[in-house]
Amino acid sequence: MIETTALTKNFGGLTAVNNLNLKVNSGEIVGLIGPNGAGKTTVFNLLAGFLRPTSGKIIFEGKDISNKPPHLRVKLGIARTFQLVRLFQSFTVQRNMEAASHIYPGIGFWEAVFSTPQYRRKGIQISEEVTKILQLLGLNEQRNEIARNMPHGYQKLLGIALALATHPKLLLLDEPLAGMSPGEVAKASEIISGIRERGTTILLIEHNMAAVMDICDRLVVLNFGVEIARGSPEEVSQNQDVIQAYLGVRGNVA
Amino acid sequence: MKLGRKISWIIIIIVAFLLPLIIRNNNYFLSVFILCVINVLLTSALRNIASVGQICVGTMAFAGIGAYTSGLLMMKFSFPIWAAMPLAGLAALAVAAVIAYPAVRVTGVYFAMVTLFFAEVTRLVISEWRSLTGGSSGLLNIPTVGTLSFFGSTIDFGHLLPYAYFALTITVICLLFLYRIDHSQLGTTLSSIEQDESVATSIGINVTGFKVSSFCIGCFFTGVAGSLYAHYLRVLNPETFGLFPSIYLLINMVAGGRKKFIGPIIGAIILTLIPQIFSSLKEYQPFIYVAALYLVLYLLPGGIVDLPVIVSSYLSKLRRESLAND
Repeated sequence: MIETTALTKNFGGLTAVNNLNLKVNSGEIVGLIGPNGAGKTTVFNLLAGFLRPTSGKIIFEGKDISNKPPHLRVKLGIARTFQLVRLFQSFTVQRNMEAASHIYPGIGFWEAVFSTPQYRRKGIQISEEVTKILQLLGLNEQRNEIARNMPHGYQKLLGIALALATHPKLLLLDEPLAGMSPGEVAKASEIISGIRERGTTILLIEHNMAAVMDICDRLVVLNFGVEIARGSPEEVSQNQDVIQAYLGVRGNVA
Repeated sequence: MKLGRKISWIIIIIVAFLLPLIIRNNNYFLSVFILCVINVLLTSALRNIASVGQICVGTMAFAGIGAYTSGLLMMKFSFPIWAAMPLAGLAALAVAAVIAYPAVRVTGVYFAMVTLFFAEVTRLVISEWRSLTGGSSGLLNIPTVGTLSFFGSTIDFGHLLPYAYFALTITVICLLFLYRIDHSQLGTTLSSIEQDESVATSIGINVTGFKVSSFCIGCFFTGVAGSLYAHYLRVLNPETFGLFPSIYLLINMVAGGRKKFIGPIIGAIILTLIPQIFSSLKEYQPFIYVAALYLVLYLLPGGIVDLPVIVSSYLSKLRRESLAND
């Protein structure tokens, strides 16, 4: 589905991502893990188009999208969430979702301004879709709440809901479970699996290893911008390089 | 649209259309009315530009482009008003499109600076291009909107009462347009850009594109307002379109309250009336203006539109306290 070839990003003298060959197949949940500063979020920014690669290519469904601006990548079917909660904070949940459903196919400026029957029909259709997504994420009760006033766990879920409203084929989740209570983590993990069952491929960054082992089909481990391991969760958890990267040199671990 | 809101808008429009009839014998009131109407359109157009979070400091320059375009088209090429007025808007829109692409790449105070410089350049061009614009002595003898034959009787828009209705009609049509933009999916998209550009990008909104279009649309209506100005005053002077009038428009918008559509309308009316009411104070007039403004911003940071909310919350607090005392 998405593939990078020799993807590299330099920030001045710092190589944040070095020669990365990442491949995600359709229907998978792939975990991108690694210690802090390993370059995971930079990879996301490159895939979503928020940063341009220094060199290398990003191929999505057979097309080179390396130089496409981010909003066009969303139209192709790549959506992302943010590590820190980023929403339209002063909108209600409902209005957040309406903002994210802005791609009204076939509806232009004049239809919206004159509120044509076509535009109104589309609006009803959109609000039904919004209800479905909110139900999937268990946010339907919160519809009329202001995003800013909701508990952190709900805000994180709303971030995922926004991405889903764009009908992504590939969903990039940046630490979807960070800052959640154990109960919320269980619920969110279930939701992420549910999203995959709807046919969306998922690439996620996460530090909660128990959850990662549980939901991911495959893992890719980064350290200092370089891929150090890949494979099934079991394989990766046995890998010496990964243990070293996470825990330091073996001698230091008592 | 909710029924209650629809009814209140209809009442506002009816009152606005009855007002000129009530004051028809007083030319001074009529000219203040026309000034209010034009300022309402200018301020609402400015709100459209500001809805994505850009503060435009040079709007009057676009009004100037519209005013001179409309005036010159009618003077030199004897265009009819129904052609000259939309062309005035389009001229402002075209100029806006040219400066928009470089301008929207910068945000916040830098965008304000770009529009500020543009406003100064425009003013200088108008005052130096004497062969076309008459320079600083002004463009004189701009024709009136013309006459309209209506069931055998002829209405001359050169008179104040018909012109008040003309300006009001144009403004109401333009405001309907701006209202629809604000209350449709477009409005949600624009204000989502104001809240967080990164999130807006992440859900596939073409942030640059929408910034450019909201700027261009705002400038179109500013140009139309400029045309209304030209055929009302019938004399144009580059100073009318300088920096200070632009800043007054920003003040109208902020004092009225930018979050609601009605806010800039209220702000424009009140702040147009204040200098007129206190005109007897002559050079001390700005003091009243500033004092009023300071009070508004101190007591009502969200603008004058917040007044009912704040008053009602104050009253309910009083009621609670009196209940507690019982």
